[in-house]
Parts: sequence; C-alpha cells; structure tokens
Amino acid sequence: MKPQLRTLALGVLSLAALTAGPAQAAKDVVLAVASTFTTTDPYDANDTLSQAMAKSFYEGLYGFDKDMKLIPVLAESHDVSKDGLVYTIKLKKGIRFHDGTDFKADAVKANFDRVTNPDNKLKRYALYSNIAKTEVVDDYTARITLKTPFSAFINNLAHPSGVIISPTALKQYGNKDIAFHPVGTGPFTFVEWKATDYLKVAKFDGYWKKGYPKVDTITWKPVIDSNSRAAVMQTGEAQFTYPVPYEMADVLKAKPELDVVAAPSIIVRYLSMNTQQKPFDNPKVRQAINYAINKDAIAKVAFGGYATPADAVVPEGVEYSVKTGVWPYDVAKAKQLLAEAGYPNGFETELWSAYNHTIAQKVTQVLQQQLQQVGIKTKITLLEAGQRVEKVESWQDPATAPVRLYYVGWSSSTGEADWALRPLLYGESWPPKLFNTAYFKSERVDADIKNALLTTDKTEKAKLYKDAQETIYKEAPWAPLVFEKLLSANNRKLSGVHTMPDGSFNFTEVDLK
Amino acid sequence: MLQYIVKRLLGLAPTLFIVGVLVFMFVHLLPGDPARLAAGPDATPETVALVRQDLGLDRPLPEQFVRFVTGTVQGNFGKSLRTKRPVSTEIADRFMPTFWLTVTSMAWSVVFGMTIGILSAVWRNQWPDRLGMTLAVSGISFPAFALGMVLMQAFSVQLGWLPTVGADTWRHYILPSLTLGAAVAAIMARFTRSSFVDILGDDYIRTARAKGLAESVVVFKHGLRNALIPVVTMMGLQFGFLLGGSIVVEVVFNWPGLGRLLVDAVDMRDYPVIQALVLLFSLEFILINLIVDVLYGLINPTIRYR
Repeated sequence: MKPQLRTLALGVLSLAALTAGPAQAAKDVVLAVASTFTTTDPYDANDTLSQAMAKSFYEGLYGFDKDMKLIPVLAESHDVSKDGLVYTIKLKKGIRFHDGTDFKADAVKANFDRVTNPDNKLKRYALYSNIAKTEVVDDYTARITLKTPFSAFINNLAHPSGVIISPTALKQYGNKDIAFHPVGTGPFTFVEWKATDYLKVAKFDGYWKKGYPKVDTITWKPVIDSNSRAAVMQTGEAQFTYPVPYEMADVLKAKPELDVVAAPSIIVRYLSMNTQQKPFDNPKVRQAINYAINKDAIAKVAFGGYATPADAVVPEGVEYSVKTGVWPYDVAKAKQLLAEAGYPNGFETELWSAYNHTIAQKVTQVLQQQLQQVGIKTKITLLEAGQRVEKVESWQDPATAPVRLYYVGWSSSTGEADWALRPLLYGESWPPKLFNTAYFKSERVDADIKNALLTTDKTEKAKLYKDAQETIYKEAPWAPLVFEKLLSANNRKLSGVHTMPDGSFNFTEVDLK
Repeated sequence: MLQYIVKRLLGLAPTLFIVGVLVFMFVHLLPGDPARLAAGPDATPETVALVRQDLGLDRPLPEQFVRFVTGTVQGNFGKSLRTKRPVSTEIADRFMPTFWLTVTSMAWSVVFGMTIGILSAVWRNQWPDRLGMTLAVSGISFPAFALGMVLMQAFSVQLGWLPTVGADTWRHYILPSLTLGAAVAAIMARFTRSSFVDILGDDYIRTARAKGLAESVVVFKHGLRNALIPVVTMMGLQFGFLLGGSIVVEVVFNWPGLGRLLVDAVDMRDYPVIQALVLLFSLEFILINLIVDVLYGLINPTIRYR
C-alpha cells in the first residue's frame, strides 16, 4: 500500500470506529446546546436545559405539548375533590420502565414521597412541598392530598421536574446516585454521560407509544461558544441547535440545507421599579417611565428584531394571560407626568441589569438613552451572577434594598398565570423570599392571586387573573419591554424538534430523513 | 543534586499550605451566596436553606476550613457544588485534554519559535530576520479567539478537512494547538533571537571562529547551549500558564479542559472546585520551576546546586 493510501485507509477506519456502535445504519441525531448539564435528575435541576434533556428518558403524569398546552402523559385522567384538596389520578396501563418494572401507583407514591421529604434536599422541593400525602388506592389509581387548596396543581405535575422515576432504580441507587443512573418510562434509555463532552441516549424498544421513537440515538452535545455552535451546524456535525445568536441568523439562513426558526416564547423581559423608594413610590413617575420607553426600538436594536413589544404583563401562551396592550411611546406625556409628580427636571437613579451578556448591555444602553430624553439620568451596572444574588435576590431588609430600576426576565415554567404573577408581584414575594424586585404590594392584586389559587372554577379564575393583570398595568410597577423569540436552527433532514415557549425542547416526533 | 531536589520537594508543603489558606479566604470573600446560585433562579427561601445544608455551607467557617484542610491532606477535595460529582473526578476528566493540548502546542511552538529565533539572530537585520520578526509580532498581536475562529471557519467549515469541536482524535488537536501555540511560538522566537544575538557577540564565539570551526558548529555547539538558559526559563513559564487551561481556546473549540472548569466554578461560586484548581495550578508551577532549575544544570554543568 502506498503511504497516502494507508493514511486514507486509516482515516476511513478511524471514522468508522467513531460512528460504529450497535446502530450502524442508524438514525443518530446530534443536538448542540448552549451549556453543560448540571444533573439528569429533574427533581434536583433548576436549569431548563437539564430538564429538557431529561425528557429523553423521563416522563411525568402530565406534560406540555410543543405549544405549552397541558396534556396527560402517564396519567389517564384526574378528579379534584370539592374543597380542592384531594386529587385522584387514574394511570395509564401497560407501561414499563427501562429496567422492566411495571408502572403503577406505587411509583407515583415513591417519587412524591421522595421530593416532599426535606431530608432528601432536592432543589425542586418547594414546587411540591404543598403535598400532604400520596396514597396508592389501587394499582392504577393514586391519590394526592394537598395541605392547602392550590388550583394550579396539575400544572405543577406537568412541570418538567415532575417526572416518574423507576421505584426499583430509586431503591437501588438511592436519592443521590440516581442522577448518574436515570431510569424512567421515556422513549430513550440512558447510555452515557461524559460531563465534559456529551450525553447520549438510545431508543427504548419497550416504549409504550407504538412506533416511537423514530430515531435510534440522540446525542446531547453542549457547545458553549455560539460561533462554534453555528460552525457545527454548517459542517453537519449537529442537526439542531438552540439558541442561535441573532447575528448568526443570516449566515445560517444562507445555507440551503439549514432552516432557521424563530418561535414565540413566554419569556418576558421587563424593567422593575422599586415602588418602596422615592421617586418610584409615585405611580405617575412609573407611568412616565413606561411612556418614555420605545419598546419597538429595543426589540430591533438589542434583539435584532427577534422579539415583540410586550403587550401584557403575562405573555400570551401562559394560561389566563390578558392582553393589556403595548404602553404607547410618548415623550411629551412622560415629561408632563414627571412634572405633575414634582420632577420637572427629571432625576438621577441606578439602572441595574440581572445579566452581563451583550444583549443586556444593549438593552440597558437603549433604556439609558431613552430615559435621558425625559430628563432621567441613569447609571448602568450589569450585575454578575454573584453580585445579583448579593445585592438583589438575597437582600434581607426591604427598607434598605438598593435596587431601583432593574432589567430582568422571567418565564413561567408551569405555563400558568400563578407562577407568572405570584413570584414577581405578590405582596409576600419580596426578596429574599421570591423575586418581587419592584417591592410591589397591592391589596387588590394580592387578593386576586390568593383567591385564584383557592378556586377550581376556571371562569372564576380567569376573571380574577384578568383583574390582577389590569390592576398591575395601571399601577405600573414594571415597564414590560419585550417578549423574546426563540431562534433555533435545524438541518432540513431533521424534523420534529421544537423549541417550546419556555425555552425547553419538545422532541417526541424527532425523525431524521 | 538529588539532595537538592528532595529539599525543594520538602519545601512544597508549606508553600501549598499558605496558598490553600489564602485561596480559602479569598473564595469565601467573593460576593454571592453559592447556595442561592445553586438553588436556581426561581427557588424559594426554604429550598435555598435545604441546598445550603446539602452543600455543608451552613457550618461555621472555621469548621469548613478544618474540613477543607483535613480533606485535602487525605487527597479528598470534596464534591462540586454544581454537579455533585467528586472534585477529583471533575479535574481528572479535564486534566489530560488540557495537558496534551499544552504539550502539542508547546512542542510545535518551541521548535518553530526557536528555529525562527536562531535564523533571525544568525542573519540579523537581513531578510530572514525581518520575515521572522514580522511573523513573531503578528503571532503576539493576533488575538487567540479570532485566530481560532478564522482557522475553524477555513479548515472545518469551508474546506471540511478537520473537525470543529471536541477532543476525541489527534485531528481534533491540530487547530486548537495551532491557535494556542501561536503566541508562545512568537514569544519564543523573540526570546531566542535576543539571547542569541547577545551570545554571538561574546569572546568565546570569536575564539571558536578564530579556531577555524565551521559556522554551524559555532552556532549550535557553542552558541545554542549558552543561549538556552533564558529560553528554558521562558519555556517553563509558558508551559505553566498553558497548563492552567486557556479559557479562550477552550471555549471556541469546546475543549473539555481546566480553563472552562475554572470559569464555570467561579461563576457558580463552586468553592471546592476553585480551591482544588488553584492548589493544582500552584503545584504545577512549583514543579515546573524545579524542572527548569534542574535543566539549567544539564545545559550548563558549571551551575551548582546547594
């Protein structure tokens, strides 16, 4: 063999060795994502990405489809008692875990007993701490009793953390080690997790939905740098990537084999104003700031057009969201309101951002410029994660809280208005408890939010949330800025992978041509 | 000589202890509560309290310190606050990729840099010198991330010759080591040149030439050996820096190395990982310095150790 030929042959061999495995002619999908996974245990995960990935091998009683609509998954149906305390859940039959265990009510009990036990110290404890007890009625019926009525409970079950782990595996590996040996009912079984490189899952032959999954393996590959993520899409090393940086969108669009998709999201970006401090204690000042901000400009300049001006406090797509309209951009009106409030020449204040990435930098700069137009001078600080925790999220005494104008974002991971309003605008959610960084307190809004949780009647709930959102709009503790769009790219050969409105993924229909 | 090495190794312990104390104090002085960060963006105070207990951060600081010291002495660095995997595994997984990348980068950049340096010195102020130094200055001034992206765009995306990201085969090493070594090669070239230029003007070189030795013997036998001392010092320093992991190159090429681990750890205030990494980096530097000192003696036997 000539030397060149030999190297060529070697190269081919090593390539073959790379792609070899049980599924030779197989459909292997590679998804390039933006950061490494923290855990495979959804009950101990707080990042959307790890939870999205865990949907490869785990399923919950309920779940969301790609448009964030609530659907039963392992559950067949449920009944709620009149007092809103007891949920009786019928389970689907004939479902098996990857380890061969039958899926029955004891699995439901094992999982909720685990998360509600504070000794297990799971990060999602709070989401389920309202559960008083879980009982097995018969093999395919489970009964969950709550401590207090909580009408969004089924949404909590549908939350990506609320999965059913095999009780046998839980017993075998224990509370901590289960994260390295995930065993669920999902379409794929866990193969390997190389923390620095990738996480691989393979088709589960005994999956209960016949004909699924349609591909043989999925490799979740974290690629941190956004330019490199664009590069692996262009070379074909990955078939899907999210997020695509706005400035790379056109480059990828130009490639005939790639599609770039901008999907709507429930991620709201807003500016909160500390309503306990002067001058933001005056509603006129807060309204003036709303009038002074050109949301279109922010969407165009900072988000490259991949965002829409916020026309509500709770984004469309979250259950019970109400459109209150985009606050009009009107500098004259803003100045007039400031004058009425006693600040004809404006004032000086702090403008903080919860993030220090380039988009946040652009947003705050645009905000600074626009506020300048009405005489409000701002000093920008982009907080690094540790500083944010120190100065905002863990600040103990509300009276001395240094936060004034604060640029931040939120997405309601339960897809329901309660988690979009209560952590952010409820009177008892001031930091350090939750994230009411506006230190907003309105008796009317508090009553609405509280009562909505107590009622199981949907029309009554809708009415209460509508009233809450309209009151918030008028009181203006925030200047809602934009709803983000989620920019992803996929190879035309790949179908069925979608970004969900909360930034998670749906890949039940994943297929490769 | 052996005695000298043993003495130096014994000196390691107190140095590392001081570094350990300092790094422990500094990480705990960083603003931001790791429990709050680990608990995530929408955690309630109860959850934060649970996470704090879980991570052992509710204990008094002296107790945490004693635990850190006793653990470290036994080689147990605890578990990462972020991933809950043992710190030793986290570091071990990433050490070899960083190490091999450092070795390959150093290998080509030392050979290339010294060749350019020698050529430039021998043909000082002639065209090989000008060309060599132009290359060297570009090597220093071209930012690594830009070089990395340009290389990736050209060789992976456009030509399709080399893989983009990862560290699986030798082909994965080519682009990152080129990127990482460029600046080192440039520094080595300039260092070798200046050290060589000095030496070539020395009396013994003139004597060697007067004896009628071939120019190549003069340059390589009499010149190179003596010019190497400062070059080796620089080499050691560069090697130490690269072993710490290059953040830029690791991010661009998605390299599973120590630099990214450190950045992630600082971001999440992952105390055990930061502490272990800083200790490791100090240890590496001390060892490299020792090796450099020993090399001095091999290069120039007139150097004595006490």
